[in-house]
Formats: sequence, structure tokens, C-alpha cells
Amino acid sequence: MKKVLLWLIVLVIGISMVISFLFTGCKAKTEVVEETATEDEVAEEPAEEEAAAEEPVTIKVWFHSGKGEERDVLEKQVEEFNTMQDEVIVEPIVLPEGSFNEQTAAASLAGDLPDLLDFDGPNLYNYTWAGHLIPLDEYVSSELKDDFLPSIIEQGTYGGKLYSLGTFDSGLAIWGNKAYLEKAGVRIPTSIEDTWTFEEFNEALVALQALDEVEYAIDFKMNYGVDEWDTYGFSPIIQGWGADLIDRSDYQSAEGVLNSPEAVEALTWFQSLFVDGYANAAPAGDDDFYGRKISGLSFVGHWMWTPHSEGLGDDLVLIPMPIFGKKAVTGMGSWCWGITSQSENPEAAWKFLEFLIEPDEILRMTNANGAVPARKSALAQSELYGEGGVLNIFAQQLEEGVAVPRPITPAYPTITTAFIEVIQNIVSGADVKSELDKAVKKIDQDIEDNQGYPIAE
Amino acid sequence: MHNLNQNIKMRRKSNNSDLRSNLKRGFGYKRKREVTVAWVLCAPALTLLFIFLVVPFIIAFFLSFTDQRLIPNPNMPTQFIGFRNFLRLFMDEYFQRALLNNFIFAIVVVPVQTAFALLLAILVNQKLRFINLFRTIYFTPVVTTMVVVAIVWSFLYNPGEGFINQFIKTISGGLLGPYGWLDDTRLALTAIMVLSIWQGVGFQMVIYLAGLQGIPAELYEAAEVDSANAWQKFWYITLPQLKNTTIFVVISTTILAFKLFTQVWVMTRGGPQSATLTAIVLLYKEGFVQNRIGYSAAIAVLFFLIVFFISMVQRIYLRGERR
Amino acid sequence: MKNNVSTNRNPFGIRYMVSKRMSIGIRYLILVIIALFFLFPTVFMFVSSIKNNETQIISDMSNLRAFVPYGDIGFKNYFDVFTQLRFARFMFNSLFIVGTIVFAGLIVNSMIAYSLARLRFRGRNIIISLIIALIIVPVESIVIPLLLMVNKVGWIDSYHVQIIPFIADAFSIFLFYQFFIDIPTEIDEAAIVDGASSFRVYWNIIIPLSLPVFATVAILQFLFRWNDFLWPLMVTRGYEYRPLTVAIQQLFTQAPKMWGDIFAFASMITIPSLTVFLVFQKWFVRSIASSSIKG
Repeated sequence: MKKVLLWLIVLVIGISMVISFLFTGCKAKTEVVEETATEDEVAEEPAEEEAAAEEPVTIKVWFHSGKGEERDVLEKQVEEFNTMQDEVIVEPIVLPEGSFNEQTAAASLAGDLPDLLDFDGPNLYNYTWAGHLIPLDEYVSSELKDDFLPSIIEQGTYGGKLYSLGTFDSGLAIWGNKAYLEKAGVRIPTSIEDTWTFEEFNEALVALQALDEVEYAIDFKMNYGVDEWDTYGFSPIIQGWGADLIDRSDYQSAEGVLNSPEAVEALTWFQSLFVDGYANAAPAGDDDFYGRKISGLSFVGHWMWTPHSEGLGDDLVLIPMPIFGKKAVTGMGSWCWGITSQSENPEAAWKFLEFLIEPDEILRMTNANGAVPARKSALAQSELYGEGGVLNIFAQQLEEGVAVPRPITPAYPTITTAFIEVIQNIVSGADVKSELDKAVKKIDQDIEDNQGYPIAE
Repeated sequence: MHNLNQNIKMRRKSNNSDLRSNLKRGFGYKRKREVTVAWVLCAPALTLLFIFLVVPFIIAFFLSFTDQRLIPNPNMPTQFIGFRNFLRLFMDEYFQRALLNNFIFAIVVVPVQTAFALLLAILVNQKLRFINLFRTIYFTPVVTTMVVVAIVWSFLYNPGEGFINQFIKTISGGLLGPYGWLDDTRLALTAIMVLSIWQGVGFQMVIYLAGLQGIPAELYEAAEVDSANAWQKFWYITLPQLKNTTIFVVISTTILAFKLFTQVWVMTRGGPQSATLTAIVLLYKEGFVQNRIGYSAAIAVLFFLIVFFISMVQRIYLRGERR
Repeated sequence: MKNNVSTNRNPFGIRYMVSKRMSIGIRYLILVIIALFFLFPTVFMFVSSIKNNETQIISDMSNLRAFVPYGDIGFKNYFDVFTQLRFARFMFNSLFIVGTIVFAGLIVNSMIAYSLARLRFRGRNIIISLIIALIIVPVESIVIPLLLMVNKVGWIDSYHVQIIPFIADAFSIFLFYQFFIDIPTEIDEAAIVDGASSFRVYWNIIIPLSLPVFATVAILQFLFRWNDFLWPLMVTRGYEYRPLTVAIQQLFTQAPKMWGDIFAFASMITIPSLTVFLVFQKWFVRSIASSSIKG
């Protein structure tokens, strides 16, 4: 009896172990079968085009969950693509946006990236540098390339090769409350040519602050917290003064660039806005500009169009990026697609990507999510961003080179972490110069630890 | 844990005597069987712990001597870099700050939470109607996912008209506030502490409640014969009787305090100006945000040694106290 | 503490009756005030989750109106979560994973604890020290090596990769151990003299005696594993095996976030563990009372 019981327990545990291993075994086996099948197809494809047509290729596609509308459009696009042709079957997987970076990094470490996936802007370069993505140059004709916004091409190019294409871009400028601006007697620029000078901008802040309705002249969206927003939004300010996050000639050091006198001047001015009460370092909510209307200006991107237009109606104006210091600079970049080197069928992945970047498909996406269409031909048809559109300023900034991509280097995660900390700390009162020095030290250390991130030939 | 050592000692003694009597009676066979059964019973857990906890930690230990990246680069394989991570860690002011915050957090939260838990346990140990309802309410935060708790509290801590600021304003008649709870370097860690106590105290309360119910009623009756007042009863009966409960609560709260991560990550990411940075937040930031798995592993190893040392000291001290 | 109020006073005196009423009133007052302290964030969450108007949620969030269900009230957010997010699937995954871990963990952890607490063999003390040390190891430090390991055997994206590594748990073993060691040894010695094997003692004597501690460990494990996030994030890919904690990240998009959906999701994550506690509340307290933590 005692023996029986003992063996029973051992058996139960043993069986559960075996079952679990069986599960994995089966799974691994089917994967192997699939792999060999697809390999065969790849081998046959060049020789026999028809064979490939009979036997459709399945590709895995990952994308971030995004807002409901964005996801809906992409799911519809996948469905449409799968029915309109019979060579490629797209298998989409939506990954939660809140943890997308960690999840893709884990997948790259485990070596199971899909065929095609999207990246949040500058997070791309670690993957290109490490060889996880393949260049798209052979697929992208020069006419096609020319039709894309220069910012998109710049963002997708690493080491002289194009690795990614986005279907939409983002825009950053200043939204204004027309009623307040007129009351304060501030000139409202209408194109990037006649944007505010630095003096004009400062005068505008003073004039707005003097109004009874206004508690803080400008809202910098500090309620976003510790977020990529800090780098996206505020690195253009130091770039306006002539500084940058890193020396872009060779991406080897931030010394003398990020902690340059220009950067210190820029951020000291930025800090003074908070100290002098023109901006709120800790806003109570998101709606100081469009809901409670206690701010006359809002320094934020295109994504606030809907709440802003709902909140302010005809009083909403979009003002191009002012000249901060020496020149006007704005941010750019958004989610963009790349084909992985693990893909057995890069051609099939490209076919799907090619479909996504058709102007009509781009417009379908941007009409849903409100972003800037990535191609000029799509942009021209866009009601919001096209010539005469209410958000045309964003398009101008992106087309005319006012927009600067964030640093194109695998060191980006370190750079942005360091810069976010600088912004957070100086806004809560820390010394600008020593914060920048700390950031430079961290960035240079990271580059040194990785032997300067050499690009493999 | 003190219990454990003492028990081991006692057991050792009885083991010897058992063994001797067994030998006398010629129970050698049975003894051998017992050893076999013991190992069979240990085997599943030991195997699982070894594979899924010990081995990974040993790997982490090795990684701490390398420059392993999160996103690996086949063209630049991971290298052995000796003690570089550790040498850098000793100089790293962020790590020092993180440990300091961990210590401050533990030193404040452990006693406050323990005392508060005891107070609550005494309150809900009364024989009143609906007392079960109150127990459940006090326990609600424990069953609420920490991510959710942190999000909700960041709204309550809202720097403008957040509930907590409004409350303080009302109480003080408009004299105090508003405070930027999570934005002010002097307040952020306190804000995290309050939330952590709020979330965790219900669990300790239940443990104390159980402890209170385990105290023999005769002790109180005897005290009443000696006409002791409520305070004396608490001081001379309740507290000493709850000693083992307290030791358990203190040790487990200390370990949890050092593992502080989720609420900080959701609410402040360690800011402002490292005011809420903790060892695990730094470990996560280095490893998962900045791709430096090697350095992050070094933090893990050092952190483990430090917490292990602290809990050893705690065990020795508490054991000594018991004698 | 329970019966120390009455004894020294005359239970029939009017003054005593009045003061007793008052003291009961005061006690309830204290209980209610503290209850409010523990309740208000939860109320905030539930109330926000039934507000259909997203703009209203945002503008209410920073002030007292967040606690008042007014305006457009309904279950639109819950409906969204169910229709857009395959919520039922995630809930099943979480329940299945956590349930299996808890069940298997009870067997595996109690077995080793029994062995360590009541059987005599060499190496026992070393194992006990090791297990206590293992309580300290933070999960954040082992996920990467563990990911590399499970990847080698092709376990990625499955149920068992989320279950097997967490079955054996140092803290659970420690709790069991503390309890088992306090059971009087005479009980099993008598059984052994009667000819029962050690295993039989465990099965027929120890387990029936320790059902309360089994309950404690089960509830604790449920709570810990219910909140697991980092590991499932590393090892799941698609919808199929994704648990709730990872799924909620789907709602954490770039600003502006859909707070109504987030709170609806959050409320529903809370419900299962709250139910577990409500159902077992009495048993839970009793279980700890009879387990060894109390000393």
C-alpha cells in the first residue's frame, strides 16, 4: 500500500513532466516541418515561379497594438492583402504597445523575430547594427524613395543603407489659442517662413502670461511623465541653439555637444520658463490648453489634433516651430517597418510592406490615426495635411528639413534615457550644466563599452 | 526564521538519541528507507528549484563578468571583461543612491507597516457585527494588482487638485498645499512609502489577527485577576505572545522592501533626481531599457549578497533576542 | 483583547450601558474611517470604469468628482474590453496558469518541506539554508538567463513555460516547513512504531493535519503569480498564451490613453482575487491562526 502511494505520486509528477515535454516536442516538430517546407519553396521559387504561386508563403507580422483605430485598419489591410493575392499569407500578431520594446528585444535574444515587424522610431538602430534587419535598397526604387518624406528616409537609413519605411510620420509644433493670442496682441505666423523669432516667442509668453485667463503661458505636456516625449519634444530646443544630443559626424561622443555652452544656454532658458512660472512642471491634467484653457500655447505633436479641435473649435491655430536660439528645429519619427534577417521569405514580407506603403493604404491609415502621411503623393491628397489643410504646417516642417531625426545610432536607448533624466531633473530644479555633464559621461561610456558601435561591413 | 535554527538544533539532539535507540533496536533498515524516502520527496522541488532558479542565477553570476547585451550582435560577441562591471558599480553614484533609498524605505516602512498592521489587527479582532466586512475592506488593496494600484495613486497624488491635495487643503483650512507629491524630490519617496504601506498592510494585518486569536484567553483572565489595565495587558501579554508573528512580519517585509520595483517603475521610474531610485529599478533600467544585461547582472549579484547579509544579521539578532 | 472591556464594571449600571453604546459607536467610527482610507482608490477605479465619456474621466481624474458616478454611466468600457481585446481568452490563460502553478506547487513544496522538517538525512541543513537564500533572488535578475535556457528547448510561447519554472517556490517551502516542524513528533513516531512508512505518515497524517497551511500557501501563491508580468512578457508572443498582466499593456498606448478601458480592465483583473479572498476569508484567517507563523 505504502509503495503504491509513493509510486503514484512519482507517477503523477512524471506524467505531468512528460506531457509538458510532449507539448513542446510537438510544437518544435511542427515548426521544423514548416521551416523545411519554406526552405524548399525559397529554393524553388527562382526556378519555378508557378510552384510558389500554388503554394502560398506564410509570413509572420508583428505590430504594436496602438489605438483601436490603428489596429482595426491594419487588421483590415491584412485581411484585404490575404484575399487580393494568393502568393503570400500574412499572419498578424498584435503585441501590447506598453511593453513592445521589451518583448521584441526578448524575441531577438531568443532568435525568434517574425518576418516583418514595426519599431518605434530610433529603437530601430540596435536591430540594424546587430544585423537583425535586412537592407531594403534592392526593393525600393529611387522614384519610390523620392516620394517619401525626407525625414522618413533619413530615419530609416543606417550605415548608408535603407532599413525601414514608415507609413506615417509625426509632427511637432505649437498650438495656440487664437482668442488669447489676439487679445494679447501677438502676431500669428501662418507658414514656416514667417515663424516667430526667439524674441517674438518670449514676448508672446510675457503677453499671454499677463492675461487674466492664463495661468501658464505655455503647456509643455510635462504630465506625460518620464517618457520618450522629453527627448522627442525638447531635443529640438537644444538643436535650435546649435547643440545636439551627440556629435553626428561619427556618433562617437556627446562631449562638447550635449554639454556645450549652447546646450547649457538652451536648457537654462528652458528651465527659466518653469522657474518664472510661464510653464507648469507638474500640470494637474492633460487639458490645461484645450479643456481648462489656462494655457495660451501648447507645445505638443499632431496627435492632439482631435482633442484640441474639439476643445477650442475655431480658436485653434497651429504655429510653426519658432526659432529657438539660432534656427527652428522640430522633431519627427514614428513607427516604421523593417524586414528581419531571420525571415525565410523577405520577398514575401516586402510584398506586404509594398502594399502597406501604397498611397491609398497610407491614407487609409493616416485618416484613422491622424498622423502625417509618409509619402508626398499621399500627403497631397490628405485633407488635413495637404496644401491649405489645417495641419499643413507639419507637412511643411517635414518636407523642408526643419525636422531632425533623433540620433541614428545603437546608443540611442542610452542617449534618450540620459536626456530624459536631464529634462526631468532640471525641470525639478537641478543644475543644468552638471546634469548635462552626467548625461555625456553616461553616453560616452556606453559607446566606449561597445567599441564605438562599429558598423559591420 | 529563528524558529528554524532552534528547531534544527533540537532536532539534531533528538536525532542523535533517536539514532541511538534505533541502533539498539536494530532499526537500521528502516533508517535507510527513511533516507531514501526523504530524498524522493525532496527530488521534484529540488530539481525544479535547481533548474529554474539556481542555474539561471549562476548564469547571471557569469554574465556579470561580461558585456552581454540584451539585443545580441553576432558581429560583436559577448566578451569576458573581468571585474569591470563590479568596479564601476562601486563607483556608480546611482547604485549608491538606489541602495540608500532602499535602506531609507526599509527603515521607515518596516516598523510603520508592522505597527499599523498590529493596530488594524486589534481593531478587527473585536467582536462586533460586520467585522468580517471591515476585514475584507482592509484586505482589498492586497488583492489589487500593483500596476493598477500605482496608476490609481498617481491620480490621487495629482499635483493640482488631486484628491490628496484637496484633502490636506480642507483639513488645514487652506493653509497647506498643493504639493507635487511625485515631482518633488523631498516628497516622492514618502509618497511611494505611503502607497506601499497602504497596499501591503492588509496582509500583515491578517497574520497578526491570526496571532491574536492564538493567544490563550486564560492569560488575559489571569491578568484581570491581578487587575491589570488594558495597556498593561497589551504590553505584558499581547506583545510578548506575538513575538514570533512579529519576527515573521519583520523579515518578510524587509525582503519585500528591498525588492521594491513595480510602483516606482509605474509612477516615477526612479525620479525626480533619483529620489525614488531603487536597486531593482536600476537593475531593470540598465538591463531592459539600456540593453546592458552584463551590468544589470552585476547589480543583481551585489544586491543579492547585500540582502542576504542583512537577513542573516536579522536572523542572528532576532534569535539572540529570543533567548 | 476581545473580552477585556466588561469584567470590572457592573453590567447592569445605566452609566455603563450608555458608555458602552458610545464606545461601540466610537469603535465603528474608527473602523469606518480606516475603511474609507482603504477603499477610496478602489472606488476611484470602479467608478471611473463605468464612466462612458472619456473626456469626462480625464477632467474628473484630478479632483473629487472622480469618486462620484455621474454623467454618462454604463458598461461601455467593459464592452470595449471584451470585444476589442479577447479578454475572455486572457482571463482563461491567467486562471489556468495560476491555478496549475498553485495546485502543483502545493504537492511539490509540501513534500520537500515535510522531508526537511520531519525526516533525518544528511545535507538537510544545507538545503534549508539554500532555500532561505533563494527567497531573496529577485526575478528581474534571472529572467534573461532563464529565457536563454527555455529558448534552447523550444518552450517559448506556451503554457508550460509560464507554469513549470514557478511550481517550486522557496517561500512556500519555508512556510510549509515552519508549520510541519511544530506538529508534535509523537504523532508520527507512534505511526512508525505501528509499521507505517514515512511516506504514509506524510500522506495519511501530516496532510490532513495541515489543510489550513495548504490554504495559506495557496492564497499567497495565487496573489504572487496573479501579478507576474516580466516573465510572461519575455516568453509569450501572440494572443494564445498571453496572460492578463501582459494584455493590459495593450492599453498603455501613446497619449492620450483610453483610461476608461484601462480602469475597466483593471477592475476585472481585481475581481477574481477579491472573490478568492471573500470566499475563503474566514478560512484564511483561521488557517494562519493554526499555522506556525503565529509562533
